[in-house]
Amino acid sequence: MTQQTTEARTPRTTKKLRYQQAIGLAIEEEMRRDERVFAMGQDLTSLGGQFGLSRGLIDSFTENRVRDTGVVETFMIGAACGAALGGAVPVVDITFSDFMFIAGDEIFNKLAKWRFMHGGTPNELPVTVIAGTGVLGGSGAEHNSSLEAHLLHNPGLKVAVPSTPADVKGLLKSAIRDPDPVIFMPNKGLFFTRGEVPLDDDFTIPLGVASTPRQGDAATIITYSGSVPLVLDAADQLAADGIDVEVIDLRTIVPLDWDAVLSSVERTGRAMVVHEAVTTGGVGAEIAARLQAELFGRLEAPVLRVCGKDTHIPQNAHLEKYCLPSVEEILAGARALVSTERPVPQPVG
Amino acid sequence: MTTTKPDRLDEAADQTAPALDNDQLETMMYRAALARGVEDLFARWAADNTFQGWWHPGRGQEGCAVGLMAALGPDDQIMWYHRGANWPIARGMALEPIIADLLGRTNGSTGGKGGGAPHWVDWDLGLIGSGGTLGTAHVLGGGLALAKQVLGRPGIAVAGFGDGTASRGTFHETLIQAAAWKLPLLYFCENNGWAVGTSFADSSPTATIAERAAAYGVPGERVDGQDPVAVHAAVMRARAHIDAGHGPALVEAVTYRVGGHYFGDVGNYRPDGEMDGYRDPLDVLAARLDPSVVERIRTDADAEVAAAAERALAGPIPDGDIIFDHLYAE
Repeated sequence: MTQQTTEARTPRTTKKLRYQQAIGLAIEEEMRRDERVFAMGQDLTSLGGQFGLSRGLIDSFTENRVRDTGVVETFMIGAACGAALGGAVPVVDITFSDFMFIAGDEIFNKLAKWRFMHGGTPNELPVTVIAGTGVLGGSGAEHNSSLEAHLLHNPGLKVAVPSTPADVKGLLKSAIRDPDPVIFMPNKGLFFTRGEVPLDDDFTIPLGVASTPRQGDAATIITYSGSVPLVLDAADQLAADGIDVEVIDLRTIVPLDWDAVLSSVERTGRAMVVHEAVTTGGVGAEIAARLQAELFGRLEAPVLRVCGKDTHIPQNAHLEKYCLPSVEEILAGARALVSTERPVPQPVG
Repeated sequence: MTTTKPDRLDEAADQTAPALDNDQLETMMYRAALARGVEDLFARWAADNTFQGWWHPGRGQEGCAVGLMAALGPDDQIMWYHRGANWPIARGMALEPIIADLLGRTNGSTGGKGGGAPHWVDWDLGLIGSGGTLGTAHVLGGGLALAKQVLGRPGIAVAGFGDGTASRGTFHETLIQAAAWKLPLLYFCENNGWAVGTSFADSSPTATIAERAAAYGVPGERVDGQDPVAVHAAVMRARAHIDAGHGPALVEAVTYRVGGHYFGDVGNYRPDGEMDGYRDPLDVLAARLDPSVVERIRTDADAEVAAAAERALAGPIPDGDIIFDHLYAE
């Protein structure tokens, strides 16, 4: 599995954009490309959505295709499912991913199960739900959760977790074009980060293809979303000490690029998972389980998790940093990982 | 049964309901007889364990479905709910896939994933499916109507539900947004008086469901659900309002749940005398037709049900590997 397939098509031009601007750009391009695509959410035309996602859309399209809803999360997701059944291609901004629980029946039962229950009719259910993840300072326990593991645990959905502005554009365009429901989870903590974004209308990044922003042989750090910049920072510091770790940015949780993960860890023999979501039952647990099952004899050390603490994000912004993995914790974890010696089996008795 | 005048139906709309001609009445009678025949068949099969699962009988409610469907056109799309097989049969869906779904055979409309409360589907007829959780039809039906508006496509969407489900938040969220956007959406409620074992009288603060629509500026009309001709006329009035671009409308058809919530529920919570004065919708419809025609229709319908049952039973049981089918697009 390589990530070069699409990116290798050299974009004509790039532009430095904020992460959140790439969201609006992707939606606008896809609305121009396919007249079935429409956007729906709160305050889209008045404020550009809660996160200013769509300012570019407002002047470009009629209110038939950029729709302001009331406070109706259940309707929004259910109607997106129904609209996709009716032949449209909805992009729904539910703002904070925590609000997925308000529309839980619609996400976990309808979007995920409708085609399964109805014998694969229709074959396609192209719904994109934009659900902001990660921590936005001071917005509290019900606006800051990282809930991707809930989605991983429910077959029928796809889940994108981009870490860069270019990945936002490429993955969101793929999500809108995808025949399956995709929960697209931009990280609120990355909204104001900037990066070069290809302006090519056909620039897409396939769902299910990880990137490898840093190569190395000492260990593999598997991460995604808001943890990627922290891991890359830690990797730079480790490199200064002569420890070259490989960093895999999953980019999508479903599908998960197992080829990239397994081939890297097979080579390095050491693996650590870093994510903001709480440790227990998270994506890291699934990766650790799969690694021990498939690479048991090759692992030089236990698979480590440096992830969110098993608690909620308090409203007091001062306390947020205690909940999330830090560069220091990632460094400590990586140093422990690369220094672990595989114990020599002792005879019993 | 009282029929309250809708709040906001146009004068013009009120006059657009054409009388049903004899051919239409015979079709309605035939489909009602098919639905009753399938109901009888499923009751026999539930009693002798021919299928597994939870059949929710629709006996006694056939008049609502045949009256509704007589008022719908080929561009209309339908999202209904769990009770009975009246809706797909009244729309004209073939019986073999309906029956085979109940049996979990691969010749069912869901290709072997069916069971005692099937999610029948027939895209050619606009039968988009049904959810297993109550309130699905509101939001998904609203979405079907939304797609029609976004894409400029003809027809209306119908969301079917029972009186119990009129309490779900989805009823209200969808109606308020659909009214704000003037979506081409018909809410069709079969008020059979019972939400499992809780009576409508005991659980509703309003005397009718129709009057709840007024809160959102939507016309609601209550009609005698045992009279398919009256149901047809009410739906024609509602859809004239919708077709004129005025947004959603609600029809509440008052009916009876003759059976239990599911087959096997003996209904010992129901008060004595509740069914006094009950009128069978098939009898109400038959009274409008020549008795010899009705007799022929019922004989033909029984024969079609028997033949379809035989074909359905001959269908294969699915292989276990279909459990992984249709999770994602193929």
